[in-house]
Amino acid sequence: MSELWQGQLEKIDDYHWRIPKSYKPGMRVPGIIYADEKLLKDIRQDKALEQVANVAFLPGIVNASLAMPDIHWGYGFCIGGVAATDIEEGGVISPGGVGYDINCGVRLMRTDLRYEEIKDRIEELVWALFNDVPAGVGSKGDIRVGLREEKEILLKGAKWAVEKGYGTADDLECTEENGAIAGADPDAVSDRAYERGKAQSGTLGSGNHFLEIQVIEQLYDREACDALGLDLGQITVMIHSGSRGLGYQICDEYVKSMIHCLTKYNINVPDRQLACAPVNSPEGKSYLAAMKCAANYAWSNRQCLMHLVRQSFQRVLGTSWQKMGMFLIYDVAHNIAKIEKYTVGGKEKNLCVHRKGATRAFGPGHPALPERYKKIGQPVIIPGDMGRNSYLLVGTQKAQDETFGSTCHGAGRVKSRTAALRSINANVLLKELESKGIIVKASGRDTLVEEAPQAYKDVNDVVDVVHQAGISKRVCRMRPLGVIKG
Amino acid sequence: MKNYQIIEHTADLALCIQGEDLSGLFTNAALALFEISAVKIPSSKPPKKESISITQKAGTPDELFINWLNELLSLSATRELVFTEFKIDKISEKALEATAIGEDISGYKINKEIKAATYSDLKIENTGSNWQAEVILDV
Repeated sequence: MSELWQGQLEKIDDYHWRIPKSYKPGMRVPGIIYADEKLLKDIRQDKALEQVANVAFLPGIVNASLAMPDIHWGYGFCIGGVAATDIEEGGVISPGGVGYDINCGVRLMRTDLRYEEIKDRIEELVWALFNDVPAGVGSKGDIRVGLREEKEILLKGAKWAVEKGYGTADDLECTEENGAIAGADPDAVSDRAYERGKAQSGTLGSGNHFLEIQVIEQLYDREACDALGLDLGQITVMIHSGSRGLGYQICDEYVKSMIHCLTKYNINVPDRQLACAPVNSPEGKSYLAAMKCAANYAWSNRQCLMHLVRQSFQRVLGTSWQKMGMFLIYDVAHNIAKIEKYTVGGKEKNLCVHRKGATRAFGPGHPALPERYKKIGQPVIIPGDMGRNSYLLVGTQKAQDETFGSTCHGAGRVKSRTAALRSINANVLLKELESKGIIVKASGRDTLVEEAPQAYKDVNDVVDVVHQAGISKRVCRMRPLGVIKG
Repeated sequence: MKNYQIIEHTADLALCIQGEDLSGLFTNAALALFEISAVKIPSSKPPKKESISITQKAGTPDELFINWLNELLSLSATRELVFTEFKIDKISEKALEATAIGEDISGYKINKEIKAATYSDLKIENTGSNWQAEVILDV
């Protein structure tokens, strides 16, 4: 299925490329790709750019079908895609434009711990986290909820976890949407989805989900670092997970129903995984209400995971998490659709912004930001692979002007899972990582190999593009010390 | 020889599946899902088995195929079963009645989580000599 993409691509400047609207009859807008020459070589290796063109068919799409530099081949949308549709002009919402893991996202916690102080305790911490945090396929946690309580999670999101004692009000302030997006309707969620969600709160899952102990190794923006309480040599913890089986079930059911909306609303898309319905249609409203439930479940899940991490650190290091300064920097979603206001053609519009493997990146002063981040802009968390780096960035006004307040979400895959399994030996990989001072514990050996650094683009290249293009700004860079893979 | 092949895909998992007829195609696709995701842990104890009846209706063979695979993935998650046998009692291009027999998930090591079967680049065709499908799975 994989071959070099031969479509039309025009260079706008060093970091912007265009697929013209004329490339395929039916495209309503052009495709705009944020990348440099180096990344583009990899991007052209599969069908990701074709998917950027396909997304441009969506009714009501505004300005362009956008792709971030970590773009890779997905299903329906490419991963790393952003598309905004104009709700009042019949703009659609597509469950495939959010994905199965609704509100897959990432949170970053700071600590007052210094690398020099705890470098000999990393292995112990990794083992503790591996034992304390349920991970792996279909993993179930100790947090079991009945139907009534699960409905509460879907409505309250991370607030439910905080009310249970798994965090603080401060954590909520540092979470996108304060950890609960308004408009979730638990009645839009099926019994099967509830069934899949009842035992998975506080579980990591598998695939590319992880927990990582990191050290800050490079500062780029001193003022922002000071505002965030970050410095060189400081330990951070990153958590990457989503809405687990509940999200998969909701996406599956709504793709199934929206396939029929293509005929009902006379929508022409070149890939049925782009099945969609007008945001204002009964089907669109119902999906949005269910998607918000899964988004809230995911925020609660990451809040529960952070609680487990804090507990593990407390037990191993014998100090309270508050004394260790284990406070949340921020939590961002990178698979979601949001209704946001933008000025298009001089008019303020309500748009449905799909971010499929893309992160919100609001600039300084945006009203959605908590007071503490109004000056520096929204923290944007970019995980890399387990052998290289991760980044903390901040959003910019330019992102709001150009990309509907969006930026990249990670490194982006470059090698298939099967190619990774064929060419990488798990023991050799573990030794290589160990020689770099990285301790890894994984639930499955296949997952470990599939997620090897060689399978990913270099996140440093990806971040360089979004920084140079101005759609987010580097704050600091971390390197991994201990990794728990699902 | 296996009745399916894995095709290169950057982020997900693409399969090409063959079957003598529509019933064989659906059976082999279902077997592929669970063969890829789970490996049986050797045990002297006979596994505990459970049968589940599945009825699906759809507008096209493509939809029927995707609904069938996603229903199995969903049931596998909620019932905590790895499906190992499939009996398709009735099948047309728009409906099926089948029985899926699964073993308790505790007897398996799960290597890969398949989130869903997708419509992206989905192809189902009768080649004249057999039936063939190409499908991308979200993993």
